[in-house]
Amino acid sequence: MPRPALTPGRLCGLFAVVLAVLAVLTLRESAPAGLAALWAPGESLSGILARHVWLPRLAASLLGGAGLALAGVLMQQTLRNPLAAPTTLGVVSGVHLFLLLGTLFAPALMLHARGVVGFVGGAAAMGLVFLLAWRRSLAPTVVVLAGLVVNLYLGSLAVVLLLFNQEALRGMMIWGAGSLAQNNWGGVGYLLPRLLIGGVAAAALARALALLDLDDTNARNLGVSLAWLRAASLGVAVFTSTAVVVELGVIGFIGLAAPSIVRLAGARRLLARLVWAPVLGALLLAVTDQLLQLWTADGAALIPTGATTAALGAPLLLWLIPRLNMHREAPTAVAGAPAPRRSATGGLLLGLLAAMAAMVVVALLVGQGVHGWNWPFELPWAETGAWRGARVLAAGAAGVMLAVAGTIVQRVSANPMASPEVLGISAGTAIGVLGLVLVWPTAGTPAMLGAGVVGALLTLALLVALNARSGFEPERVLLTGISVLFLFDAISKIVLAGSDPRTQQLLAWMSGTTYYVDLSLALTVSVLAALLLLVVRPLVVWLDLLPLGAPTARALGVNVTWSRLILLLVMAVLTAGATLVVGPLSFVGLLAPHMARLLGLARAREQFVGAALLGGLLMIAADWLGRMLLFPNEIPAGLVATLVGGSYFMWRLRRL
Amino acid sequence: MTRRAGARSAAGRRRAWTSGWLVGLALFFCGAVAAATDGGDRPRVAAIDWGQAQTLIALGAPPVAMAQIDAYQDWVGVPPVPDSVRELGLRVQPNMELMSQLDLDLITITPMYASSRARLEAIAPVETIDVYYHEGSAWDNTVESTRRLGALVGRADAAERLVADTRRTVETAAERVPAEAPRLLVVQFIDARHVRVYGEGSLLDDVMTRMGLDNAWTGSTTFWGFALVSLERLAEVDDARMAVLDPMPVGVAEEIDGSVLWNHLPAVRQGPVLDLPAVWSFGGLPSAARFARALADALSAPQVAGTPDS
Repeated sequence: MPRPALTPGRLCGLFAVVLAVLAVLTLRESAPAGLAALWAPGESLSGILARHVWLPRLAASLLGGAGLALAGVLMQQTLRNPLAAPTTLGVVSGVHLFLLLGTLFAPALMLHARGVVGFVGGAAAMGLVFLLAWRRSLAPTVVVLAGLVVNLYLGSLAVVLLLFNQEALRGMMIWGAGSLAQNNWGGVGYLLPRLLIGGVAAAALARALALLDLDDTNARNLGVSLAWLRAASLGVAVFTSTAVVVELGVIGFIGLAAPSIVRLAGARRLLARLVWAPVLGALLLAVTDQLLQLWTADGAALIPTGATTAALGAPLLLWLIPRLNMHREAPTAVAGAPAPRRSATGGLLLGLLAAMAAMVVVALLVGQGVHGWNWPFELPWAETGAWRGARVLAAGAAGVMLAVAGTIVQRVSANPMASPEVLGISAGTAIGVLGLVLVWPTAGTPAMLGAGVVGALLTLALLVALNARSGFEPERVLLTGISVLFLFDAISKIVLAGSDPRTQQLLAWMSGTTYYVDLSLALTVSVLAALLLLVVRPLVVWLDLLPLGAPTARALGVNVTWSRLILLLVMAVLTAGATLVVGPLSFVGLLAPHMARLLGLARAREQFVGAALLGGLLMIAADWLGRMLLFPNEIPAGLVATLVGGSYFMWRLRRL
Repeated sequence: MTRRAGARSAAGRRRAWTSGWLVGLALFFCGAVAAATDGGDRPRVAAIDWGQAQTLIALGAPPVAMAQIDAYQDWVGVPPVPDSVRELGLRVQPNMELMSQLDLDLITITPMYASSRARLEAIAPVETIDVYYHEGSAWDNTVESTRRLGALVGRADAAERLVADTRRTVETAAERVPAEAPRLLVVQFIDARHVRVYGEGSLLDDVMTRMGLDNAWTGSTTFWGFALVSLERLAEVDDARMAVLDPMPVGVAEEIDGSVLWNHLPAVRQGPVLDLPAVWSFGGLPSAARFARALADALSAPQVAGTPDS
């Protein structure tokens, strides 16, 4: 609970004072004449630096922060979800992808209509989310789930483009990390009118939106068309956030954090949050940007502001989590999701097993080589199968592990959005490996393995430390994981924007390739997978009971805290093992358990086996396709899995 | 290229089961490559790094296979890749299965590929050749790596010639530079608001030094000898001329023209901006020579002395 002394006004006042001090310092840094430079004659360099560089940058950071925070308030209110934000709902990914496509394929269009291209991308992504969730009247959890899926999907497409056009898209990597550098008033001129429109629209919607604090039935009784109200509110949010993202680049965290912070500081009512969150968002972004300007004044590497807010924001978010008052969401019905329930599942599981076996054979024996497609055994084994074997084995093991980890976490949290990726375990592993490669560029696989395990265990320790007191309440655990994910995303963006030649290798690994797997790693991972499956087997009974809710499970004799802790531990090790092979961005941990359930495998044991088979099948198929589609170029398996699996997932989600 | 495409479709589809025929085709293919590049029993090399591939081509011993040939033509340019060279895929993930089928004698890598070294050694002997990860100037290390590559492919004499030629090219270029040559800021646009500026530790900086030119960027640089900075950082630099390396990202030229800051940067007001062609700044001696020539051309061009603001 916040201390009564802390009000949104005082908090913003404090930040404003800090900003003023910092701004004077940066002005002196960038224009030698200091404050006087603002009134220096038009042609002097000092005057130009003050008026055309320093001032527009300050203005742009304030406007950008305000716009994102406004969008965040609208989204969080509309979806009744403290995790909703432009980044989590796919808007940013949509803008990102469309700007990349525009840069590569329609440069002329980008020249004249960059904003339109970006807006269309953001709106299309959000529209896709709407489409997927429309049948459920845009129910909050379904929207967030759809947003997550669309995010991963579009993000994967973007990574493919970046991977294959790294030189041509280098500028877009800086944009992707949100550098706020300005050298004219164009950016501010672009943002100001759009944010004014967004602000006016938000004010007009505020009264109706306040009714969303009630549950759906009560709100409907008051004569509010919920679907249209939500659509309108999200539309305004997309409009403002897209404008900011197109102009300034990807800026993490502000849209998520500013609304949460003002709420913690005592702005409970919507109107108060609509006023204070943009003010705080503006100040947060501006202060961060001014600090970075001082910090990097003489540095050789660029440290972009957008990614830094995300990196700084993650610890803040972690600090906030134990203090966040999680109001129980009304519509938890989705968690148990309506899916067909099949009575005879033996045949289905056998079918899945056969499909996986067939895929293994294809992946081992069919491929392209020096003379195009070759038949099985046409070329010596040492020149074909020996290379493929390790990758097929590793991909299959990773797929199985992620699928099992996903089943565990979805059942423990009774939350369809949960997955090892979302819990940040993959991200923690990746941070470990990333850190190692940056400190010791020539590190070999064993060292990377060790660093990855350390990262995963630290993340798990963090999850436990922050959630032990609440008895591993599912939402808090998820929120912790998402913070770690934010941190990883931010760090990797800073690294990518640094324009370091090594980054392409990191980009490739992070997008989930089996390229770096050798036979010993593949065997290690497979043995690990087999051992962990044996460990999970006796725990399956918990997976049937925990989704019934903590009180019911307790009544049935389950020690809820301990069983959750043990399952989380197993899940963490499963995820770390898989991440080392296929990187942190795979979709399989989210996807496979869902597919199993949608196929009618409802009981824990069946879902568990079905998901494992589907996970293996999906990953092996993705790996093979990735190696064949653009031969001799390779598309990472994690990306292919995301694209193939994501398409299926979106199709099913729409019919949910 | 028709030779390669033809071989792929014919062998892959119809006659796949007659492996004898395939061996014959493979021999023919190797023979064709060897004939095209004259050396009789020269080792079959795969070069993954562009700078090393570039050097091998310049030595008259092009690799059998290299990575991202199309992008190389855009970003490195010189010398062009002969048609006989096979594509290996992305530089970061050269296709190992394909390499294992190419009957290689040698694979050259940089320390960046250390994590893949063990598996590459299963294909062929691996040599790590490095410019940026150890002591010494980029120029000296590039010369040394050229000699090493020459020795590895049995063309030590060609390597000496390349070193000597490059030295001469740089010297000749230096002679063409006007006596009162300005200090230079060598930048490459990343987007309209950010540039890479080359400084101490880069090959380009070493070439400028050898040409007797002053690099105006004395600020800190990364491991690879450049700094990634936003445009206003260039305002710190007085008394210098701006030299811009191609390629410009889409739309940047237009945006820059209208930028008050850009047009008031001391280095831009000093005289017209020097346009330089694409030079792969992490490349080998051919890139160094190209940079020296381009710089001399730009500095001695007639319009440079005259009309400002063109």
